[in-house]
Amino acid sequence: MDNINTKEYSPESPSMKSRLSWLWSEYSVIIAFIIIFIAASVMNPRFLDINNQLNILMQVSIIGIIALGMTVVMLSGGIDLSVGSVLALAGVISVLALNASGSILIGVFTALLVGAFAGFLNGLMVAKGRIASFIATLGMMAAARSIALYIAEGGSVSGEVSGFTAIANNNVWIFDLPVLIFFAMAVLIYIVMHKTRFGRYVYALGSNEKAAMLSAIRVDRIKIGVYTLIGTLVGVAAVIETSRLNSISSSSSGAQYELDAIAAVIIGGTRMTGGRGKIIGTIFGILILGILNNMMNLMNVSPHLQGFVKGLIIIIAVVFQKRE
Amino acid sequence: MTSQPFVAMNQIEKSFNGVPVLKKVTLEVEKGEIHALLGENGAGKSTLMNILGGVHQPDSGQIFIEGKQVTMANPHISQTHGISFIHQELNMVGDLKVYENMFLGSEIRNKAGFLNVEEMCRQTREILAELGVFLNPKEYVRNLATSYKQLIEISKALLHKSQLIIMDEPTTSLAEHEVGRLFELMRNLKKSGVSIIYISHKLKEIQAVCDRYTVLRDGQLVKTDDMQSGNLEEITKLMVGKAISQERFVHEHEFGEMALEVERLSSPGLFKDIDFTVRKGQIVGFTGLAGDGRTELFESLFGYRKKYTGTIKVKGKAMKITHPRTALQAGMGYVPKDRKENAIIKDLSVVHNMSLSSMGNFERWGFIQDKRELEKFSNYEKTLNIKVANPRITIDKLSGGNQQKVIIAKWLEADTDILIFDNPTQGIDVGAKQEIYQEILELAKLGKAIIILSSEAPEVLRICHVINVMYHGEITARFMSDETNEEEIMHYATGAKREGEHIG
Repeated sequence: MDNINTKEYSPESPSMKSRLSWLWSEYSVIIAFIIIFIAASVMNPRFLDINNQLNILMQVSIIGIIALGMTVVMLSGGIDLSVGSVLALAGVISVLALNASGSILIGVFTALLVGAFAGFLNGLMVAKGRIASFIATLGMMAAARSIALYIAEGGSVSGEVSGFTAIANNNVWIFDLPVLIFFAMAVLIYIVMHKTRFGRYVYALGSNEKAAMLSAIRVDRIKIGVYTLIGTLVGVAAVIETSRLNSISSSSSGAQYELDAIAAVIIGGTRMTGGRGKIIGTIFGILILGILNNMMNLMNVSPHLQGFVKGLIIIIAVVFQKRE
Repeated sequence: MTSQPFVAMNQIEKSFNGVPVLKKVTLEVEKGEIHALLGENGAGKSTLMNILGGVHQPDSGQIFIEGKQVTMANPHISQTHGISFIHQELNMVGDLKVYENMFLGSEIRNKAGFLNVEEMCRQTREILAELGVFLNPKEYVRNLATSYKQLIEISKALLHKSQLIIMDEPTTSLAEHEVGRLFELMRNLKKSGVSIIYISHKLKEIQAVCDRYTVLRDGQLVKTDDMQSGNLEEITKLMVGKAISQERFVHEHEFGEMALEVERLSSPGLFKDIDFTVRKGQIVGFTGLAGDGRTELFESLFGYRKKYTGTIKVKGKAMKITHPRTALQAGMGYVPKDRKENAIIKDLSVVHNMSLSSMGNFERWGFIQDKRELEKFSNYEKTLNIKVANPRITIDKLSGGNQQKVIIAKWLEADTDILIFDNPTQGIDVGAKQEIYQEILELAKLGKAIIILSSEAPEVLRICHVINVMYHGEITARFMSDETNEEEIMHYATGAKREGEHIG
C-alpha cells in the first residue's frame, strides 16, 4: 500500500546515483553495445574496416527484420516460435510462384501473403482459440516446416527468373539492399509502435490484458494483428533469404532463426511477459549478436563454440536487466 | 498492563530515495493488547509494520522485544521473535492443499524424513475448528473463497505460536458473520496473551475490538490513546488533520430522459432476473456483501462477460452488448474495482492511461498527437485535482487516489452518457474520497446517468438517489436513499429479509 511505489517519482531527484541507475535501466543495451564495440575494435584491427562493418549489417538484416516482429509479439505478451519454419515455407512457395509466373512482383507478393497467412492462423489460435502462444506457434513451427519439406520433396528449390537475385545482392551507394530494407522496416515498426493506436494497444495488452479489455480495446483483433504483422515481416525476410542465393532449402533454411530473434529481443531489454521494451533495444540487441559472431569468425573461434558464447551473452543480459 | 511493553519501537526514522516516510515514530504494544494502527494511505503504516516484520531496515531508532533490543535484519528473524504479518494481499499457493499451505516451510516429518501428512492434517483441523471453520485440510486452496483464505492465513499465524500478529485490513474480503467470528477469535487470543496490531480503515470495527490506538499522519506520530476516550469523529479528524463532513451529498434535481433500462437479466450461477432503470442525472447505487453478484452483473452489462440473457436498452434502444467496445459505442463507461488488476496499465504513462479508451480524440491522419494528449491531460489535472509532477511517468508511481482520478479522466474523455463506478473509493484516503464523491455529483448534475457499486452501505447512502440491495445474485430491495438506513440495508444484504418490488 503505502510503500515506496506510491512516492511520486521526480526526475529532478538530486542523487547522482539514482540518475545513473535510471540511465542504466533505460539504455543498458546501448551501453553494452558500446563496450562490446570498443572491445572488438581493440582486439582485432580488422573489425573496424568499413567492409567488415557493412558485412555485419548484411548478416544481421534477415534475423533483424524477424526480430522487429518478435519484439511486437513479445510486447503483447506472446512469443512466436514458428518464424524459421514459416520463412522456409514462404520461400519455397514464393519460388514456385516466381518460376510459374515469371514475375518477380508475384514472387515477392506470394512470400508476403504466405507469411501473413501463417501469422494470421497463429493469431486466430492465440486470440480466438485461447491457446498459449508458445503451444500454438510450436504447432505452426512443425506444420509449416513439414509442408515446406513436402512441397520441395525435402530438397531445395531454385529461382529461374533472372533479376530476382538483385533484391539481396544489389547495393545502394555503399549499403546492401537488405540492410536498407531492415532499416526501413525498423523505422516503420517504430512509428507503428509509438505513433499509432495499434502500438499503444499492444503495450496495454502486454501489460494488463484484463484492464486493456475493460478499457474497451478489442484485444482479440490486436492479437491477430500482432501475429499477422510478424508473419508479414517473415515473408519479407523470406524474399531476402531466397534472393541471396537464388534458392531456398526446405530442410535447413530458417532453422533456429526463432532462437536468434528471441535472443535479440531479450538482449534488447524487452520483458518476456510483455508490456515493456523498445524497438531500438532490439536493434542494438541484434547488432550485439552480429558483432559477436563477426568477432568469433575474425579470431578463428571454432564454429562449434559460437553457440556457447551466444548463450552466455543472453544469460548475462537477462541477469543484468533483472532489476524489478 | 505490565510496565514493560511486549514490543517497543523507539524513534523510528526511515526515508526512501531521500523522501522521509517515517519521522521519529514510537509505538508500544502491550502483551495481550489489540492495538489499532490508523492513518490515511501514505501515512507510513505499512512502512512501520514492514520494519517490524524485517522487510525494511530503519535508518535510525531501535526495536525492543520484552525489553531486549533486537535487529530485524530479515523477515525470518522477525518470525523467530514471534511476530506474524498477515498481509492484505494473501500469500497463499493456490495449487497446494490447505494443510500444505499451513505448514509451508515448516513441514512436519517423521523419523524416516518423509512428510507426516496425517499429523499435519490433524493439527490443521484443530486450529481451523478453533476459528469455527470446518474445512477438509486436503482441499486445494484455489477452490476456496477469499474469506476462507484469509482465515487460513490467520490460522497459520496461530500455528506458529505467534506472540504478536500484525493484521493489515483483514476484513476487506470477509462477510459480516465472518468478521464477527474473527473478532471473537481476536478477543480469545488477547486473553491468552497474544498481542495484535490491527490496521484498518473501518473505524467502527476498530472501536468494537481494539484497546488502544495510534494515529500516524505524514510519517509522524499524532496520538496514542485508549480507545474509550476518543470518539470516531475525533479520530477521523486526527487522521486527516481536518474535520470531514459525513452528511449526505445527494443533490436533488430533475432527472432527464431514460438512459438505461435492464429487464430480466440473468446469468446462470451469477445473477438472476435483474430489473432496474437509470435516468439521466440520476445516481443509482448497488450494494451488498461480497459474492452478491453485482460486479459480475455489471461486467456482463459492460460486455466483459458474454453468457447472459435478458434485454438491455440504452436510451430506449435494445442493444446486444458483446464486448466492452460495443458498450462504449452504446454510451457506457466503466470504472472497475480492484484498480491494480482491472483498471491501470502499470507500464503505460499517466497520460497514456488517460487517453487509452478514446484514442480517436488524439489522432490526425491515423497518427497520435502527443501534444494534444498532454493538453487534454493538463485540463483533467486541474479539474480533478490530480497530483502528478510529470505526467510522463508510469501510472504505478502515483498514489491510489490519483490513479483512480486518472481512470475517471479516461472515461470522462470517452464522454459516455452512462458511467458505472465499481467500488470507486477502494483503498483511497479520506481526502481523495471526498473529491471523487464531489466529481460524481458534478457529473450527475451535468446529466450523466451514474451507477455506483459499493460494498459499503454508508457510501451509497451518502451519494445515491436510489439504492438497490443485492443478495445471492438477486435484487432483494430497492430504496430511495433518504428513506432507509444502514441497518435496514444490512438486513436485506444478508438475506435476513427480502421484498418483492418496492420502488419509491
